[in-house]
Amino acid sequence: MMQVDIWFEQLEFVLIAGIVIFLAWLALEHRDIVYAAFFFGFMASFVAGFYLLLEAPFIAGMQIAVYTGGISALIVFAVLLLPRAQDSSLETFASPRRRRIGLVISSLVGMLSAALALFFPWYETFSPDLPPLEFNLELLSQWLWSEHGIYVMMTALILLTAIVGAIAILQMDKAESLISIEGEFGIESVEEPIDDEASIEEPSEEVGNE
Amino acid sequence: MMVKRNLIRILIGAEIMGNGVNIALVAVSIYSPAFSFVGQGLIILVISVAAAHTALAMVLMLIYNRRYNTVDLGTPIALEDDEHV
Repeated sequence: MMQVDIWFEQLEFVLIAGIVIFLAWLALEHRDIVYAAFFFGFMASFVAGFYLLLEAPFIAGMQIAVYTGGISALIVFAVLLLPRAQDSSLETFASPRRRRIGLVISSLVGMLSAALALFFPWYETFSPDLPPLEFNLELLSQWLWSEHGIYVMMTALILLTAIVGAIAILQMDKAESLISIEGEFGIESVEEPIDDEASIEEPSEEVGNE
Repeated sequence: MMVKRNLIRILIGAEIMGNGVNIALVAVSIYSPAFSFVGQGLIILVISVAAAHTALAMVLMLIYNRRYNTVDLGTPIALEDDEHV
């Protein structure tokens, strides 16, 4: 019975690994970039299966919430916001040399990883006794909030800073490309940035001439 | 990821690599009791930071698109070369 469980677990792993590799390949190679973004979202969902197999359900939930729900949605938004996102450079700038270099490097990395996994005695470094997995989530939350609560707050701060910074960068770029608007009290915004002296002097001359 | 020039595909490639690293970290943390919670806490931090850097990367892509009217790396250089010629 135990042997059947182990075989079933290995079968699950092989199945999920195959699906993830296929979806990752589709996400990178599919011609339509909208489909590629969706395939990335599906791949992120199946990666959560690995975490469930590894008895880490909280990480699996977080993977689905952040990668499938957040990051893939961001990529879809990026595709929708960029009018020329569909232009694939591979058709326009076909470069067999780059493809060959990428194939060689990926083969080398794959062979190195396989050699490490097969020949390096990594299992000897781990203890055969597994942690108490049935209380994993409770212990993890206790460990996170009681002992390392400051790091959780730092994570929240990093997220907030990144999002505010992203909005600020976008607005700065928008402010630089303002067109001039003439209102009742003269020019209210100018094409050049405000700290540019020439753009500030020009409106006063025009008003004086009138 | 190395052979792509489309910025969105490069971002997708980087995310896939990040997923691979996360799986390796969780596997090590689960099979090593001493590292169990440290590994899972680290993964939570890594996933949060990944979300933040994706948002930043998207904004940078938008700015690149506004400036050069494309998301293909190498195109602005090619256009500049044409202008010089």
